[in-house]
Amino acid sequence: MQWFDALVQGILLGGMYAQYALGMALMFGVMRIVNVSHGDLVILLSLIGISLASNFGFGPFTVMVALVPLAIALGWLLQRAVLNKVVGDDPLPSLIATFGLSIALQNMMLQIWSANSRSLPGGGIESQSIQIAGIYVGLLPVLVLGFATALTWGLDLMLKRSRFGRALRAASADVEAASMTGINARAVYASATAIAVGILGFAAVFQSLRSTVAPADGGAQLIYAFEAVIIGGMGSVWGAFIGSMVLGISQAIGFRLDPGFGVLAGHLVFLLVLAIRPQGLFGKV
Amino acid sequence: MTYVADAIGRRPGVSQPSALPPVIVSRQTASGRVAMVLFLLAVVALAAMPWWAKTGTIRMVLELCCYIAVAQMWNMLAGYAGLVSVGQQAFMGAAGYALFVLAQTFGVNPFIAIFLALLVPLVLAVPCYMLLHRLDGPYFAIGTWVVAEVFRLVASNMGFLNAGAGMSLNVMKEYSLLERNIAMSLLCALLILVTIGGSYWFLRSRYGLALIAMRDNPVAAASQGVNVPRLRFMIYIAAAVGCGLAGAIYSMAQLRINPPSAFDPMWANVAIFIVMVGGIASIEGVLIGATIYFIADRWFGQYGASYFVVLGVMTVFVALYARGGIWGAVSKRWDVHWFPIRRHLIYKPEDKA
Repeated sequence: MQWFDALVQGILLGGMYAQYALGMALMFGVMRIVNVSHGDLVILLSLIGISLASNFGFGPFTVMVALVPLAIALGWLLQRAVLNKVVGDDPLPSLIATFGLSIALQNMMLQIWSANSRSLPGGGIESQSIQIAGIYVGLLPVLVLGFATALTWGLDLMLKRSRFGRALRAASADVEAASMTGINARAVYASATAIAVGILGFAAVFQSLRSTVAPADGGAQLIYAFEAVIIGGMGSVWGAFIGSMVLGISQAIGFRLDPGFGVLAGHLVFLLVLAIRPQGLFGKV
Repeated sequence: MTYVADAIGRRPGVSQPSALPPVIVSRQTASGRVAMVLFLLAVVALAAMPWWAKTGTIRMVLELCCYIAVAQMWNMLAGYAGLVSVGQQAFMGAAGYALFVLAQTFGVNPFIAIFLALLVPLVLAVPCYMLLHRLDGPYFAIGTWVVAEVFRLVASNMGFLNAGAGMSLNVMKEYSLLERNIAMSLLCALLILVTIGGSYWFLRSRYGLALIAMRDNPVAAASQGVNVPRLRFMIYIAAAVGCGLAGAIYSMAQLRINPPSAFDPMWANVAIFIVMVGGIASIEGVLIGATIYFIADRWFGQYGASYFVVLGVMTVFVALYARGGIWGAVSKRWDVHWFPIRRHLIYKPEDKA
């Protein structure tokens, strides 16, 4: 029963990681870019959300309504001002630019919000639980998983069915050929990053509801998103989703074994996948 | 003469003329000779620090030497091998811990232990590379970070390493201050000689030529017979050992080690800032960048977070608008390389008279 409980908690934790991982998978798939400031953006949005809630008395869902458009705008701006200048075959410029951005963002947040841990008051939602199959699960984690599933499904559908999704897949397959057929790669890239960061708007609300956030936490979120993408296999949003579940379950089981071992267990499963199945669980060779 | 000799040698299978073409390959320049003398003088001055510097100065110089060494190792990885790492602190911490365990737990002489400790990053780097090289470009970088995190978490969980509380190097009490200063100065000189001098020597060797070709275009280099995967592997291992030496020396000077300080991601920030601002893929750039960082740290370090915001923004700016950094801009205008690694072919017609 204890292990079944760990499994359920792991899947729920995976719902949180999936919200980080989707954006990373999308950006890498389209532009071959890793945004090192991915985790710092989650923290920035969380802290803005917490400040909105405390200054204007917003509830968590009002904060979400305010944060998601802000996140989309931030992503679009990031692409236009920084990433469009560094996208290309050489991975170095994009890594260095986003790495510098990550340092700048972290320290800027430290100045504005200090190093304290904060969380978003959820008006009781964070402490409610429901009983499923003999174990109690928190209402909030279930909600997080529900949102993650909906986001993954929506993103997958958009990539497969919509006109924009086709343009995105064309640009990721061959950017020059796509331009020849009339696709504006820069605009497609800007929309992709806007979506990727927009998803972080949801993640920010849930992250600050279910635990605390502090300016230095961004690095860990980046690593979890990255591990989820690699475990799941590059090139599919459902891969990133499943990878997040695997990572969440590994961490939850690790925490049961020893409290100091939880995060490490996730890293070790990641390294194991890299050793025996480098293309990821669902990746194509 | 209608053909040009290449720098490595003549192609096999092609019938060679009896005499070599009257071309000599020149690698040294006047500015290079001057810089070489200055470099050797600097190494001697480092070794002689106990006779001209106070203990506080030696500590500061030691820190600067560690910055230079770590930045140069990062430069070899990112600038030449195309391997962007943000996790070299893994090997710094591993060597630091190895030194503490050997000297403190097993009672090995610390000045012998510091060299034995280098075996640990050497051995650990092999499986790390085997796993990480499977990751594509930017993912490789984040992968190195995961490895550094794994090292830190393992150290925090190992009772043998006193877990999160860390260890102290009490055996250093057996040595007088002068003895310790002499040792630190010699180690600084050695660190610079190995990392800067070693890189210079490597870049001027046959491997260096292959490495420069690989930097410019890995696919074209491979088509010319450069074994790109093997060269990358060699650079990764060498960088791990170089960073290990810097880490061991740094933690020996600190006399204490614990997981957050041993595996401090700050080193990645410092190395990236130094190399990018100074100028990537050049030894000169590392020296310039390290000096700027060192001075900026002394002057503006008191401003804490806002100082790092400026460093971060500067790094973004360099990546967007000035990829060559300071040395890139300088060497575009003036050809005065301190560490010339280019080959110049000088045509000297034979005197037939």
